Amino acid sequence: MDAPHRPPFTPEVPLDLTQAILARTSGSPCQRLQDQACAYVDGELDDSRASLVQAHLAHCPACAALVGALHTSQRLLPTLADADPGPWFTQRLLRATVHRPATSTWWRLMHRPRIALEAAYLGAAAGLLGTYLPMPNLPLKVPAMVQPLGASAQRVVGQVIQVERRASTSLRQSWQPRPAAPASPSLWQRIKARLRRWLPFFRQAAPRPAAVPEKAPPPANP
Amino acid sequence: MEPPHLLDLVRRGDELAWEAFVRCFQGRVFGLAYHYTAQAEDARDLTQDVFVRIYQNLTLVPDETGCLPWIIRITRNACIDHLRRRKARPPLWDLAADELFDLRATDQNPEEAHLEAVRRSMLHRALEELTDLNREIILLKEIQGLGLEEIAGILDVPVGTVKSRSNRARLELAQKLTAAGMGG
Repeated sequence: MDAPHRPPFTPEVPLDLTQAILARTSGSPCQRLQDQACAYVDGELDDSRASLVQAHLAHCPACAALVGALHTSQRLLPTLADADPGPWFTQRLLRATVHRPATSTWWRLMHRPRIALEAAYLGAAAGLLGTYLPMPNLPLKVPAMVQPLGASAQRVVGQVIQVERRASTSLRQSWQPRPAAPASPSLWQRIKARLRRWLPFFRQAAPRPAAVPEKAPPPANP
Repeated sequence: MEPPHLLDLVRRGDELAWEAFVRCFQGRVFGLAYHYTAQAEDARDLTQDVFVRIYQNLTLVPDETGCLPWIIRITRNACIDHLRRRKARPPLWDLAADELFDLRATDQNPEEAHLEAVRRSMLHRALEELTDLNREIILLKEIQGLGLEEIAGILDVPVGTVKSRSNRARLELAQKLTAAGMGG
């Protein structure tokens, strides 16, 4: 006669029993799960390790929520990569770029805002330099463009050219090296010259030693 | 058309190719600029500046797969410069702009689209609460999909640091989402 079939004894396990045992032995496994949560979500864990994680998640709502948030962020984050900047954005951008020719460095250098100021400065400097350079000593020749204007105009232009040449010639002469000036005496030489000039005065003013009276000749014996 | 071929045409002066290039990358650049500035108008201006800079330096754009990392790098630099300027001279108005999520056209029904927009908005706010380095790593790795070595090159930190920081940043973001009620 067979024994009557009895269901296996499955006592009600208190929920906090596992926590109590773990607290008295290894401590909470949640920190270990957090170390492996990213690998679990990425599917990098092997099967045995993944089943251990799943077993923990089945009983730990906090870790399950954390892994759920990791899944959610993993699903949503890549969708944030691409955002729509608005309906007219592309048109504005193309207007800002296409009408500009592809430019070289030299082109950009020449289109800086201060290029006009810099060019004016360089031009003024070149003009000043050209004005101060001496004119070449050429024979006087009135330009051909003045000749049809008549004798008076030719005379005026000729005078202007002569004045220019005179100025440049004097300028050129002023650039000639001058003879070297005599070297100025040094301080010691000047002091010596002063002393030499005062020396006769000192000699005269110096007190002379008193004259030694000449001994009187001994009186002759009477 | 692939970006290297597009670039080749753009360099030859093809305006249609340039338009296709702009449409191909403008969303990525605008999205990245928006995450840095949190202002849609500033992000639009920065995106324009970045594309003008690309157009003026077409010879410097890498031909091969390095095109996107290069664009992301100059976008990041432009954003950081902009944030420095804004820190020195803060604007008179500084409103949080959530209109980014309303601009996107979706095929979902209105209720789902609204829920999705709310989730994305919460995610964006959680991102703003991260530390700067963690947020940048999330931006570059999880959002823009760059590799560890590319991120290490952009941020000038070792690859190992990027890897460990990445996991830490993801956990920090997940904890903030959980606290906001988005877990599970």
